[in-house]
Amino acid sequence: MKKEQTEELFVKWVDGRLNDEEQNQLDELFAADPKLEAELTGAKEVTAVLQSEIPKSSEPPYPDFFNSQLMRKVDLEIAAQRPAEKVARWWESLRWAWAPAGALALVLAFFAGQRMSPQGNGGVADRGVADSSEKSEELPNVYFAEKSLTAEVIADADGKVSAIVVEGIAAISDDIDFSRADLTTSLPARYSQSEERRLQ
Amino acid sequence: MAPIGASPDAGSSDQEIPDLELIKACQGGDSRAFESLVTRHRGKVYAMVQNMIRNEADAWDLSQEVFLKVWKALPKFEARAKFSTWLYRITHNVVYDWLRKRKIDVAGELDDGILNQSDIAAGARTSPVYQARPDEALQNSELGSKINRALAALNTEHRETIVLREVQGLDYKEIAKVMECSLGTVMSRLYYARKKLQSLLSDEKGTN
Repeated sequence: MKKEQTEELFVKWVDGRLNDEEQNQLDELFAADPKLEAELTGAKEVTAVLQSEIPKSSEPPYPDFFNSQLMRKVDLEIAAQRPAEKVARWWESLRWAWAPAGALALVLAFFAGQRMSPQGNGGVADRGVADSSEKSEELPNVYFAEKSLTAEVIADADGKVSAIVVEGIAAISDDIDFSRADLTTSLPARYSQSEERRLQ
Repeated sequence: MAPIGASPDAGSSDQEIPDLELIKACQGGDSRAFESLVTRHRGKVYAMVQNMIRNEADAWDLSQEVFLKVWKALPKFEARAKFSTWLYRITHNVVYDWLRKRKIDVAGELDDGILNQSDIAAGARTSPVYQARPDEALQNSELGSKINRALAALNTEHRETIVLREVQGLDYKEIAKVMECSLGTVMSRLYYARKKLQSLLSDEKGTN
């Protein structure tokens, strides 16, 4: 007989759960080893002692506090789950509409684009000079350090497109080599002195 | 629908409501029904945890954790298994997670368990003095303390198998489900755990 089978027989005998066939098998083992029955009887006594001495149920200390503490945790759990569930359900309920809504948005965008595109001018918007009396507040102010420079601001009638034409800037000579030129500018003396003080 | 667990400490009237009915109410969000379920089963869970870890304060906290996990898992509970078996399964998981975590926590630290009191000189000032509570003192004079010491000497698997079988009265199949092992393993653990207990208790007889 295998070791596992004999162990099962011994356990079942201690628990009084052997059927007739198993009992016969165990009787043969008892006959072969006279000490075995005494050994198993001892195990049976230990089992009986355990069952009588260790309580099956034992109330935790402060059982009312146990419940109230636990229910507070449960309430927190419920409160934490509710918003998440609502959001999930809201999105889930609209999920079916996502694809049609996306397609509709594409179609609308296409028609809107067709209606708004300029007609008959080859894609170039009309341009005009804004009336300074009407649009002066909407036109930008242009300031120059050089008094010799002048600027003209040109804007369309809606004020959405504007251009600034600056006149009086000296022409840049073609033979300037920017890679070698000294482009650093020296500040006026009063600025450079105050800057040095700040850095110190 | 009116909550069916309206009086968790109502005693006999509450006991008449079957577990399954309370579970259905819990699954519908009735937290009062859950409290009734807790009141009904907290003693078994606490005793189980206490027998496994042998520490009252931790057993209290772990029992709370068990029931909180039960509340979270209740929506998935199907009445295929007995509720008590399912409850012990959750208890098993919580206890084993705790033991695993504790093992990690104490790794590298001085483990008090490895210090045998008899190895410390009796007159030493650092000798640990254990003050037993009155109820413990009474218990210490009884057979119960011998059994507790013997149980504590078993390894975790053997201790759990013994507690589930001898104390909680689960059958072999239920133990296999709770401990997630084969029936053969349950039989083997029971056989060796009983043998070890028998030996430990006979040693106790010899020393006393």
